[in-house]
Amino acid sequence: MRTQITELFGLNVYTDKAVYVGSVDDVVIDVDAKKIDSLAVGNLNPEIGEIKGYKGLQIPFRIIKNISDIVLIRHVAGVFKSPQEKE
Amino acid sequence: MSKTFSRTMARKRVMSTDGVLIGTIKNVMVDLGTGQVVDLIVKPDESFRTEGYRMDGDKMFVPFEAVKDIKDYIVVDRYLLQKSA
Repeated sequence: MRTQITELFGLNVYTDKAVYVGSVDDVVIDVDAKKIDSLAVGNLNPEIGEIKGYKGLQIPFRIIKNISDIVLIRHVAGVFKSPQEKE
Repeated sequence: MSKTFSRTMARKRVMSTDGVLIGTIKNVMVDLGTGQVVDLIVKPDESFRTEGYRMDGDKMFVPFEAVKDIKDYIVVDRYLLQKSA
């Protein structure tokens, strides 16, 4: 599926455990590999873990499962806390 | 390895390896399935003759294959650009 890169800006990012991560601020392109390297995600959910002092996260493209109306990424244990683990 | 933020690419000028100004970048087409960057969408400069290139209305498609590097300018290989037209 071909998309203009500006369509990605502002999309909400969720993990596959339905945890909100943030919204897409920017897309990092690897010029040599001619590929999307990562998504720069801002407006972070303060609940997901140790993000104090960070304005954003870079989500590597390989953990992205799908992009449509939202961005769905793999839930990486230890990086993202899921609501159940918090208790 | 050279990486670039797509927002910093906005409004950058596209120049060919032989020093001809082609135009300004408008957008980037990506394949979300593979993550591959497919095309740059370029608004051609008035001085640039667009015959023989892949066009859609007033927009020009530049295959990302032709892109050499992205720094202050986006440098593309004009030979590669024409071949895919």
